[in-house]
Amino acid sequence: MSDVTQKAPKRSLFAPDARTQKRNRAEKRFQYYGMAAVGVGIFALIVLLTSILGSGLSSFRQTYISFPVDLLAERIDPEGNRNPAEMAAVTTFGYMPLLAMSFQAHLEAEGIEHEMGARELAAMLSDDAPAQIRDRVLANPDLVGTTIDVQILVGGRIDGFFKGRVTMASAERDRNVSPAQLVLAQVLADRGDVVTRFNWDFITAPDASGQRPEAAGLGVAIIGSFYMMLVVLALAPPIGVAASIYLEEFAAKNRFTDLIEVNISNLAAVPSIVFGILGLAVFINFMEFNQSSPLVGGLVLTLMTLPTIIITTRASLRAVPPSIRQAALGLGASRMQSVFHHVLPLAMPGILTGTIIGLAQALGETAPLLLIGMVAFVREYPDLMSTHSNSFPLMGDGATALPVQVYSWTQRADPAFVERASGAIIVLLVFLVVMNAIAILLRRRFERRW
Amino acid sequence: MKDLNEMSQTDQESAVDVLKMQARGVDVFYGAGGRTGSAAGMAADLAADKNVTHAIKGVDVDIADKTVTAFIGPSGCGKSTFLRVLNRMNDTIEGCRVTGKVTLEGEDIYDPNVDPVQLRAKVGMVFQKPNPFPKSIFDNVAYGPRIHGLSSNKADLADIVERSLRRAAIWNEVKDRLDAPGTGLSGGQQQRLCIARAVATSPEVLLMDEPCSSLDPIATAQVEELIDDLRSRYSVVIVTHSMQQAARVSQKTAFFHLGNLVEFGDTDKIFTNPSDPRTESYITGRIG
Repeated sequence: MSDVTQKAPKRSLFAPDARTQKRNRAEKRFQYYGMAAVGVGIFALIVLLTSILGSGLSSFRQTYISFPVDLLAERIDPEGNRNPAEMAAVTTFGYMPLLAMSFQAHLEAEGIEHEMGARELAAMLSDDAPAQIRDRVLANPDLVGTTIDVQILVGGRIDGFFKGRVTMASAERDRNVSPAQLVLAQVLADRGDVVTRFNWDFITAPDASGQRPEAAGLGVAIIGSFYMMLVVLALAPPIGVAASIYLEEFAAKNRFTDLIEVNISNLAAVPSIVFGILGLAVFINFMEFNQSSPLVGGLVLTLMTLPTIIITTRASLRAVPPSIRQAALGLGASRMQSVFHHVLPLAMPGILTGTIIGLAQALGETAPLLLIGMVAFVREYPDLMSTHSNSFPLMGDGATALPVQVYSWTQRADPAFVERASGAIIVLLVFLVVMNAIAILLRRRFERRW
Repeated sequence: MKDLNEMSQTDQESAVDVLKMQARGVDVFYGAGGRTGSAAGMAADLAADKNVTHAIKGVDVDIADKTVTAFIGPSGCGKSTFLRVLNRMNDTIEGCRVTGKVTLEGEDIYDPNVDPVQLRAKVGMVFQKPNPFPKSIFDNVAYGPRIHGLSSNKADLADIVERSLRRAAIWNEVKDRLDAPGTGLSGGQQQRLCIARAVATSPEVLLMDEPCSSLDPIATAQVEELIDDLRSRYSVVIVTHSMQQAARVSQKTAFFHLGNLVEFGDTDKIFTNPSDPRTESYITGRIG
């Protein structure tokens, strides 16, 4: 005992020595680094969400104005026979004066004072409003000659006034809107004629031209994205999982399979625009599919998604303990039985996660779609079976996609499209969150112990 | 020396023993790559190759019916490798080549016409680490009969499962929770479940690769008792590190050393009066 104390002086457990103190400090420091890193991430996320929600949420609300419209028969049904086919000859330009006159008459009848000319007054209404009235009339010719109460869109700038984007000060400098219009809009809003309410059309309506941001919607883009996801879902998981199972469980390990493996890893890192070029060359130029059709978009996204799916699937197959395979083989199961009865179910959570991550990636991809012509202005909903030329599903109609819609809206001049683009991003994010939630649910559902 | 042993053993016990499996001149090579060729030529070729591990060198063993045969030897001596020769589990290992002749009831199991899947139904295997499927206890046992179509209906299958679990001496512990996951059992129970799973396909030979190495002494005792019971129906081959275990459960013992079969004979004789000095050194703890 005394020998030991002589050789090494007794140290109290309560007083850490210099070495321990240094080590503890290093540990603390590392924890702070970690916290700082997480903090940066959270900060970035908060900034992103506030900026997108701040500028995008308002796109789900739209300002409408209601007043009675006289559907003068002599203007919109010159033949007088209520035949929709002949009434269709009157274009939206024929309806515009009707609205303007009705609006002016409404203001006079209600005794609302203003100092604007007819043109300036009419400019408060959306350019899209005549088209809406026309659609209603053509659908129901009995309306001709009557007076109907309508709720129609106001112009983008007036809408912006109620959302805080346009102010009196900015209206002074703006050629497209005047302070007088804003004053009148405020008066009408106080009377309850102008309301801002939830706008389903933003989600269901097709895109609109650059002069009428208030009417632009995501309907066509959502359907285009949905069709492309159908193609990806039908092709990518079966091909990817089959390839992974073969490579992981059956293929001999030799130079050739090594080469394939390296190439798959490289393909996962290839910029997505390269897949667009590939799609352009193979599907459009060589196989002569219709450009910007959902099928071509889906095929390109499938090619892009495959490496992700293959890599994650192989990783999750590899994570299944070999003892499970041996147990099955030892019982006289064939290799395929051991894979399909035991290995694949155990690898399922990982495979599903990889697949859904791949799909989410495909859903948000823009660059390759630009190259195959999906950036076009599309107002027609694409059909599964086109009525035009091609007989193959998803090949006839041109389509656009959610991220491409975001891209093209950010290109437009009107500031109202900034709000639209942010709104589209919110919709895209909602889809992504839903897909990830499904991934988590499925993983929970399939998770097993071994 | 080896041949002499075998001769004397067969002479003494031929009246009792019915030959189940026979291995003659078995060589196993690892790292052989995709090499093919005539068996005899390949063995010499591979034995000469420095990059190839010669894991088993010309082993001859007879496995008798209704007998427990133990393989003992130091780690890396090839006893597990040789066990896997007997049901062609080595086929699943990349670059492993087996030469020589192994017969099950006179049929060459390495014949090109033999489907290893069918062979493994006849020669069951229990692994070192309990490896129940992450399924219910019932499904674990029922898996083999299902894939081999051994039952005609549900009642029949339930019957097979119960019989197998009884044979593996675990029925009383699990009969009330057949739907519980097999992975939720204790280690010893899991191993007996694996044995039940292996006997459910009615194998003729049961191979056990160190079945007790991850079990506590109580579970080990249970499994050993079980092995003794199983002997009445099956031919059991067990690889073990424990010489006491070999002495307790087996009637025949094979001692492997550096890929060679050093000595093969009656367990009593090997442990009391070994004819090879290496065997004696091993069982007395001097090498290994």
